Amino acid sequence: MTENRIEARMRELNDKNKKAFITYITAGLPDMKTTKEIIKAQEGITDVIELGIPFSDPTADGPVIQQASFEALQAGASLDKTFKLMEELRGEGSKQPIVFMMYYNTILNYGLKAFADRCAELGVDGLIVPDLPYEEQDGLKGALAGNGDATILIQLVSPVSADRIEKILADARGFVYCVSAMGVTGQGGTYHKDVVEYLKTVKSVSKIPVMMGFGIRTADDVKPMKEYIDGAIVGTHFINLMREADFDPIAARDYASAFKEELNAAIHK
Amino acid sequence: MNMNKKAYYGEYGGQFVSESLMNVLDEIDKAFEEAIHDPQFIAKYNYYLKQYVGRETPLYFAERLSEKYGTKIYLKREDLNHTGAHKINNVIGQILLAKRMGKTKVIAETGAGQHGVATATGAALFDMECTVYMGEEDVKRQALNVMRMEMLGAKVVSVRSGSNTLKDATNEAIRTWAKTAEDTFYIIGSAIGSYPYPKMVKEFQSVISREAKIQHMEAEGRLPDVVMACVGGGSNSIGMFADFIDEPGVELIGVEAAGKGIDTEEHAASMAKGRPGVLHGTRSYLLQDDDGNIKLAHSISAGLDYPGVGPEHAYLHDTGRAKYVPITDTEAMDALMELTQTEGIIPAIESAHAVAYAFKKAKEMTPDQSMIICLSGRGDKDVNTISDYLAGKGYLN
Repeated sequence: MTENRIEARMRELNDKNKKAFITYITAGLPDMKTTKEIIKAQEGITDVIELGIPFSDPTADGPVIQQASFEALQAGASLDKTFKLMEELRGEGSKQPIVFMMYYNTILNYGLKAFADRCAELGVDGLIVPDLPYEEQDGLKGALAGNGDATILIQLVSPVSADRIEKILADARGFVYCVSAMGVTGQGGTYHKDVVEYLKTVKSVSKIPVMMGFGIRTADDVKPMKEYIDGAIVGTHFINLMREADFDPIAARDYASAFKEELNAAIHK
Repeated sequence: MNMNKKAYYGEYGGQFVSESLMNVLDEIDKAFEEAIHDPQFIAKYNYYLKQYVGRETPLYFAERLSEKYGTKIYLKREDLNHTGAHKINNVIGQILLAKRMGKTKVIAETGAGQHGVATATGAALFDMECTVYMGEEDVKRQALNVMRMEMLGAKVVSVRSGSNTLKDATNEAIRTWAKTAEDTFYIIGSAIGSYPYPKMVKEFQSVISREAKIQHMEAEGRLPDVVMACVGGGSNSIGMFADFIDEPGVELIGVEAAGKGIDTEEHAASMAKGRPGVLHGTRSYLLQDDDGNIKLAHSISAGLDYPGVGPEHAYLHDTGRAKYVPITDTEAMDALMELTQTEGIIPAIESAHAVAYAFKKAKEMTPDQSMIICLSGRGDKDVNTISDYLAGKGYLN
């Protein structure tokens, strides 16, 4: 069995003592073809692409990703079309680790087993499901287990997870997604007041890399907590940036290169 | 799903929220269970229901309707509660719980505005900061209730996303809650949301059926044959059913909003036309498209304009313990006028849905049988919608 692409990348980074960089984009914003170009432009730079499957009621997202989701749906985006995008990407030789960020109803609607099978077949390496907390994961985990390690469920922890952290991380895979603030995506650098203590706790418990997300714009934003994280996730800011650049894949590439370089420089200095 | 079994009604319910709310739900669950087993808490709750809300509400024997339809028709007069609907029963319970937990702020979602008004009222009474989320469309339809909430000191946030109705107001309330749960209590008004919310709402609304059961016994010396209530999210209906669920001789009927008809695209009949899915933290019947995106609901009544239904109703539906039937906008409005002119009671358009089905149901009943209709609210808030409807101008949404 081949190693999961996310886990392989995390191992490589760890061997080189480097931090990971992850970007989020909404599938189908402004269209699937552009989404594909934006993903391909980041190959070899961005370590994992978080690909958002638009949903009608994105309760874990702030205004920017809500709007992105809404526009993508208006433009006809769907899970099926995103699967098609994955098929094309892998067909064109992309080895980019990719996780789907999606709401649980989209998965349930497709059918747990059918969904897991399709993900495995098309090389979807991981899933982030913000409305599926640990206690509700049995069904999906069972379906994913049927396909070995092909697609892994990424665990989220929050600043108020407290005594739940250990339980959540016990069998976590790939990386742990540390939400830096309470609430929804995109709150512009206002982290939870106890963010450093919290990251410290997660780092001490976690056997896998710790990624921080929510409200990050630049490598400087994560400097104060660099010792406790293994990488950063940029979502809302990346969407804004893409809009400003009229979804130019080169802009995505440039931003990712600069961030990654600074992230690692900031860390080694 | 066995990991979280107590949160389920059969295969419905659960806790589908972001990780940052899981400990919050757990705290609420513990505090709630403690509170309802604390005689002092219950005494306090009962005190406010009696002295402030004005309970018990009458079980009124509708003489003229009974005569016309040839069976005994009783109305459980929740419209006579302070603030004009059943919503206040639950708000008093949840706000006392919020106080007990040391929270200083409350938030709420509202469709018709009744739950928003009730929450704003409770917040004024118990000196808490209150923000109410309401869809832009409903803000227009229910201007009077918006005014009332603002007078009571609440901040009303007009939500502009999706269908601009209750579903979207709920999304926004959930987002705000996830951000602020450390000092803020989310008072959910419908029998929806993650566990323990459906249980709490049922607990605090079950006073409706506890009273009605005793009142009907006093009047008729036996249990009613039929109990019915309208169902949006399902709070008045679960309260009306609660004490009768274990009485197999009592038929339970929930009335959904069929809008322009369940064969059109414009209705809110999630049981008749939906399928199970996850929204707003719970698994239940939902109106959804082929991709699993939630469809827009439609009903002339803002309070029923919701694409889902509480998880316990989904369970009662599947087990056959309760029956759910659709009533159109037109049927509801006709019933509203008939009740108004026959009994001198102007019901909320929501409640008029139950009245409309009662007229149909009465035809299969005999003169010595009896039914209870939950008259969940009064129609004062609806006069603009009613006048537009009667003037043939159609209505918003």
